[in-house]
Amino acid sequence: MTVQFISLSVGSQTARLATLTTSSNLSAAEAEKKPEKTKFGPLKDEDRIFTNLYGRHDWKLKGAMSRGQWYKTKEIVLKGPEWIQGEVKESGLRGRGGAGFPTGLKWSFMNKPDDGRPKYLVVNADEGEPGTCKDREIMRHDPHTLVEGCLVAGRAMGARAAYIYIRGEFYNEASNMQVAINEAYKAGFIGKDACGSGYDFDVYLHRGAGAYICGEETALIESLEGKQGKPRLKPPFPADIGVFGCPTTVANVETVAVAPAICRRGGSWFASMGRERNRGQKLFNISGQVNNPCTVEEEMSIPLKELIERHAGGVIGGWDNLLGVIPGGSSTPVIPKSSCDTVLMDFDGLVEAQTSLGTAAVIVMNKQCDIVRCISRLIDFYKHESCGQCTPCREGVSWMMKVMHRFSHTICALGDGAAWPVQGLIRHFRPVLEQRMRDFEAKQTQAEAS
Amino acid sequence: MLGYRFLSKLKHVLRPRPTPSVGFARSQEAQAVANKLEVFIDDQKVVVDPGTTVLQACAMAGVEIPRFCYHDRLSVAGNCRMCLVEVEKSPKPVASCAMPVMNGMRVKTDSPVSRKAREGVMEFLLVNHPLDCPICDQGGECDLQDQSMAFGGDKSRFVDNEYTGKRAVEDKDIGPLVKTIMTRCIQCTRCVRFASEVAGVEDLGTTGRGNDMQIGTYVEKLFASELSGNVIDLCPVGALTGKPYAFTSRPWELRRVESIDVMDACGSNITIGMRSGEVMRIVPRVNEEINEEWICDKARFAIDGLSVQRLTSPMVKSPEGYLENCDWEDALFCAAEKITRAGAGNVAAVAGSLVDAESLVALRDFLHRLGSETLTVNSEHPSDHLVNDLRASYIFNSGIVSVEDADHVLFIGGNPRLDAPVLNARVRKCWIHNELEVSLIGQDVDLTYHHNHLGETLSTLEQLLDGSHAFAKTMYAAKRPLIIVNGKILCGENGSRVQDLALKLANKLSQQHAEDGWNVYNVLQTEASRVAALDLGYKSSSKSALTKQTKVLYLLGADDEVINRADLADDCFIIYQGHHGDRGAAIADLVLPGACYTEKNATYVNTEGRAQQTRQAATPPGLAREDWKIIRALSEICGVTLPYSSLSTARQRLCEVSPSFSRYGDQEEALFFQQVVSLSEDSSESGATNEKLTNDMKDLSHFYMTNSISRASRTMAKCVQAFKDKD
Amino acid sequence: MAKIATEGILAKLKKVKDIVKFNGGVWNSIVTLYRTDELKQGELVGEDKYGNKYYRNDEHIMGRNKWVVYSDKVGMNYDGSQVPAEWHRWLSDMTDTPPTVKPPLQHRWMIDHIENKTGTQQRYVPYSTTRAKIQSWQPPAPSK
Repeated sequence: MTVQFISLSVGSQTARLATLTTSSNLSAAEAEKKPEKTKFGPLKDEDRIFTNLYGRHDWKLKGAMSRGQWYKTKEIVLKGPEWIQGEVKESGLRGRGGAGFPTGLKWSFMNKPDDGRPKYLVVNADEGEPGTCKDREIMRHDPHTLVEGCLVAGRAMGARAAYIYIRGEFYNEASNMQVAINEAYKAGFIGKDACGSGYDFDVYLHRGAGAYICGEETALIESLEGKQGKPRLKPPFPADIGVFGCPTTVANVETVAVAPAICRRGGSWFASMGRERNRGQKLFNISGQVNNPCTVEEEMSIPLKELIERHAGGVIGGWDNLLGVIPGGSSTPVIPKSSCDTVLMDFDGLVEAQTSLGTAAVIVMNKQCDIVRCISRLIDFYKHESCGQCTPCREGVSWMMKVMHRFSHTICALGDGAAWPVQGLIRHFRPVLEQRMRDFEAKQTQAEAS
Repeated sequence: MLGYRFLSKLKHVLRPRPTPSVGFARSQEAQAVANKLEVFIDDQKVVVDPGTTVLQACAMAGVEIPRFCYHDRLSVAGNCRMCLVEVEKSPKPVASCAMPVMNGMRVKTDSPVSRKAREGVMEFLLVNHPLDCPICDQGGECDLQDQSMAFGGDKSRFVDNEYTGKRAVEDKDIGPLVKTIMTRCIQCTRCVRFASEVAGVEDLGTTGRGNDMQIGTYVEKLFASELSGNVIDLCPVGALTGKPYAFTSRPWELRRVESIDVMDACGSNITIGMRSGEVMRIVPRVNEEINEEWICDKARFAIDGLSVQRLTSPMVKSPEGYLENCDWEDALFCAAEKITRAGAGNVAAVAGSLVDAESLVALRDFLHRLGSETLTVNSEHPSDHLVNDLRASYIFNSGIVSVEDADHVLFIGGNPRLDAPVLNARVRKCWIHNELEVSLIGQDVDLTYHHNHLGETLSTLEQLLDGSHAFAKTMYAAKRPLIIVNGKILCGENGSRVQDLALKLANKLSQQHAEDGWNVYNVLQTEASRVAALDLGYKSSSKSALTKQTKVLYLLGADDEVINRADLADDCFIIYQGHHGDRGAAIADLVLPGACYTEKNATYVNTEGRAQQTRQAATPPGLAREDWKIIRALSEICGVTLPYSSLSTARQRLCEVSPSFSRYGDQEEALFFQQVVSLSEDSSESGATNEKLTNDMKDLSHFYMTNSISRASRTMAKCVQAFKDKD
Repeated sequence: MAKIATEGILAKLKKVKDIVKFNGGVWNSIVTLYRTDELKQGELVGEDKYGNKYYRNDEHIMGRNKWVVYSDKVGMNYDGSQVPAEWHRWLSDMTDTPPTVKPPLQHRWMIDHIENKTGTQQRYVPYSTTRAKIQSWQPPAPSK
C-alpha cells in the first residue's frame, strides 16, 4: 500500500517542480484567497515526508530511492540558493529543534559577501532532551532524507560541507547514517560534483561524547572543534564565526530532513498544513502514561487530546485520569489537564498555555504518578548536565535539586530550560506541593510526639 | 598554533574589545570619530564608540558595575553574571560585560530588576563559598567580600547547608608561588584566561561540569610561567593566593609605597607592601607604557631575599684573611688610606646590575676627582669596539609601547620571555590582536607564541642585510619593523659585530619602507642600572678595570662572575660596596654595606631611557647606609669632597651630567641615530660569522636567580627546584 | 621569791643567759644578732641538706614562732629563696608536720632546689622567640 502512494506522490512532486519554477507570488496570492483552516490533522498519507519512520522498509539507498528520495535533487541544487531559500520561506518552516526560529530567515543570514572563508552547515543530531526521539527515528530508518537534506540546505546557504554532530549514545543510528553517507558518495549524490550539478559538497559524521549541553548550538560547535562542549558567548553568532572560525548554520535534523521534500513539492504544499505561522507537519513523540507510546508524523496544530487519543491509544485510565502533560520535552513547563483539553500542538498554541512546543515530545502523566518525583527526576538530569560556566545555572540547578529532593539567567538556555519544569510544577501544582509540605510537617510532629 | 591564532584573531575582530590601550587607540582613531553611539546610563547620556560594551559605557558614565569574571585585559567570558543590568525593552537582564551597546539603549543599573538580579547571583555564589574569611589571605581585599557587602542580600535563605553541606574541592599543588584553596573558587576563569591569553601557557583549565566544575591543571603539575604570580591579583576571591605570603599580613596593616622594580631593565612599576620596617609583598602598579598591570614572578617573589645574606656592618679583612666586622670609621679610613696610596689612575670601579643613578654619579665624580677614568659596567666579554657614545645605540629607542603599532619584531639574541617578561607579554598580546609577525635570531626558545626562527649565527644577520636570506623579503616589506637587540649579546663575544650588523639592518629598514619617525633600532637591556651607567659615561668594557696595574678596585654592587681575583695584581685591594653578601663581597678586602632598592629613594633608568624613582619602604639594616652617602663620606676622608650633601643636590648633579634624568616617568627620546650608524661602521671589526649567538636563559630555571637579591631568595631557589623536578 | 624567780628581773636575766647559752656563748650570740637582728631560743625542728636550721618556739606569737637560721656557709648572703620548698611549706604554716616527720615525695625527674639567681651571673635573661628580620651575611673562610 505504501509503495502505491509513493509512486503517486512522486508524480505530484514532478508536476510541482515543473510549475513552481515560474512564480511564488502566484502561490502566495492563492494562499491568501484560501480560507484559513480550522481543523488540523490527521495527516493524509500522501503528505507524509518520513515514509519509513517505523523501519518496515529498506532504509538503504535503494529503498530510499524507491520512496522518492534523491529524485531530481540535481534540479533542486541547480536552482540555486535564492530559489531554495524562497521555497523554505514560503513553506513557513520553523526550526524543529525547539526554539522555532523561521528556517528560511535563518538560512538567509548566510547570504553574505564571500570573505574567503568557507561556510558550513552543522546538523544538530545530538538529540538528548528527555522524552524526545524523533531525530533518532529519522537517522536509523530514513537516513537518506537527512543526507539529501544536507545537500539541499547546504546549497541554500552556499555551504562547503555539512557536519552531522550525532549523539554518542546513538551507535546504531550513527552506523546507519555513515552507511547512507557512503552510499550517497558512491552514487555520486554528494562529494565532488554532487548529483552531477557541479556543486562540491561533503558530509561528515561526528559522534559526540554524550553531553546534553552539546545540543546547544555554540557548545556543539566547541565540541565539534575538539574542545570542551561548553557554550560560547554570543555575539559573535555562529553565522559570523562558527565552526573552525567560519560562518556556520546549526540546524536540527528534522528541519534539514524536510527541506528536500519542501523543495520537491513546493513551499505552498507545506504551508497548506497547520495554522498560520505554524505550518507543516511534525514528528511527535508521545511517551509516559499512555497505552501506546509512539513517534508519529502529524500535522502541526493538531489538538493535543486528538494526538494522544488517536495515536497513543489514550491515557492509561482514560482521559479523565490525566494529571498533566509536558508538551515539548523535559525542559518545557508542565500543563494541567484543563489546558490539555483544548490546547493545539503548535508554537503559538503552547505559548498561550504558558509552555512551549519544544521538540514536541509529549510526556503524559496520569493521576497515578507522583508529579513531584517526576519533576525532581528531571532536575537530577539537569543538575548532572549543567556545564558549570555561569553562576546561576551552576549553583541554582544544584540548589533546585536539593530543594526538590526534600520536597535565572545564563549564556545558553539550559539554566532557563532547567527551571521551566519546576516553574510549571509550581504554577499548576502548587496545592500538591503544599499538601506535601503539610504531610511532612505532620509526620515530623508525629515522630517527635512518639 | 596557527589555527588558534587565526581563531583568536577573528574572535577579537568581532568581539567587543577590552578597553583599548594606547596602541589600539592610535590606529583606530580615524574610523572611531565617524560613528559614535548614544546610550543612556541611568538617564545620563554617554557617547561611545561602536563595539563598546554596556559595562564600559557604564564606567564612562561613572557607574561601577560589579563583576567577577570580567577583566579589562582578558577576553570576555560572561559567566559570573554579576554584571547583570536592566536594559529597557529587553525581557531579561543582560550581562553588561558581554553586551555591545546599541544606539539609544537605556540602561538602568540601579533599578529593582538589576538589584534583584545581582542579589540573586550573589546569593548563588555564596551557596558554595566557604565562610572562612577570618583565615583567608584575601580577606580585606576580596571582591566577593566587598561586593556582597555592597550588592548582596542581608540574610541567608540557604538553611539547607546544615544537612547537605557546601561543596568542597581538593586543593591543587601548582608550584611554590601560588597557593590554591579551591573550595573558595567561584569559577570566574580569570586565571584560566590569563594563563592562555597573556602568559601563553596552556596549563590551567577547567575539568568537570556543572557543580563539579573545577579549575586546575588536570594532572598535578607546575604552573610553569614567568608571570604566574599575576593570577593571585586576578583571582577575585581567595582561591589563588601567594604561597610565600600566606598568613603573614593583612592588607589593612600594610603601608603602600609606590616604587620601581629592578629585577630586569623594564622598570616595571610596583607597589611595595610594608609592615613595621619589613617588606611583606610586592604587587604591580598600572603603567600602560611599561608593564600594563603585570609583573614577573622574580619581581614579586624575590623579596624574601631582601632579608637574608645582608651586609649589615662594614667589614675589613684581618691579617689572617678573615672578613671581620668593624665600625664605619675604621672602614672608611682604611679605604681612604688604600685609595690615596694607590695614586691617580690606579683606582678602577665596576658598577653592578642593581645600582642606582645617584651612587653611579657619586662614584664617577669621586673617581674623576681622584684622577682616574676607569669606570665600567659589568660585562662578560668586553669589547672596546662597542659604540656606546650616543644614547641611541644602547636604549630601547621606540619605547615598549611601540610594539602595539609594530608589524614586525625581530629579536636578536637572548630570550625576551625571560629577560623582559612584561615586554614579551605585550608582544604576545599584539601577536594575538594585531597582525604582528615575530622572528628571532639566536638560539631558538619558547616565546609562548609563534615566531620565525631565522638562524642561530651572525651570518643570518649578514644574509638578512644583503637580502640573500629567504626571510629578507618579508622583513623588508614591513612598514613598522622593530629590531630588538638583547643587551647581553652586545656584551657578548661578538658584541660589536652584532651591533654593527643590527645597526646597518635597522638603517636599511628605516630607509626603505618604514614610516617617517619610526625608530627601528632598539636595545633590550637586562640590567636595571645599565642605561643610567652608560648615560653617566661608564664604559661597557670591564677589561680595562681588570689590569695588573689596578691597585684599588671599587666594586659598586658588582656581583657577576666577570670579576676574577686571578685577573688582578696580587696586592690589588678590592672594596665591595653593596647590600648582599654575594660573589663580590666574597672576594673583597673591605666591605661597605649599602641599601637595596626598597630601602632608598633612588633613580633608575629603564631600557627605554625612562628615569623613574624607587621610594624608601624600609630602613637599611644594621649599619648599612644609602650608597651615594657612603661614597660622599669616603670622598671627604680622601680629601676630594663631593659638592653635594643631599639627595636633591645629588640629583641636580645627575641632571647636569645628563639631562635625561631631569624628568621622572617620561621617556627621553634619543637623537643622532645616523651618527651611531656611521660610528659603528668606523669602529667595526671583522671576524668569523658562523659563531652562534649565546644565550644563558634557556628555560625558566635560569630565570629565577639572576642577581644578588634573587640569588639570596629561598623562594626563587624553590622555583628553580620545582622547575627542575617538573618532569 | 618564787614570783621573782618566775616573773621578776631575775627570771628575765635567766632567760637572757639561757638564750645566750642556746646560741653558743656571748661571741656567737653577738654574731647571730648581727646576722639576724634578733636572738631567739627554740626547739630545733630539723636541718635541711643545705645546712639551714629550722626552729620553733610557740612562746612567740603566731607568725614569729617558726624561723630559719641560714647555713653559715652563706654568711651574710642569705635569702628567703634559699629555703627549699618542703621547709617553706612548714615555715609558712601550710602544714604542721615538718619534712623531718613526713619527708617529701622524691621523684627521679625532680630537680634540686635552686635559689633565686637574680643579680648574679646566672640570672634569667628573657630572649626573643621571633625570627630575626634580617640575617647577616657570614663571610666564608679565606681560601688557602
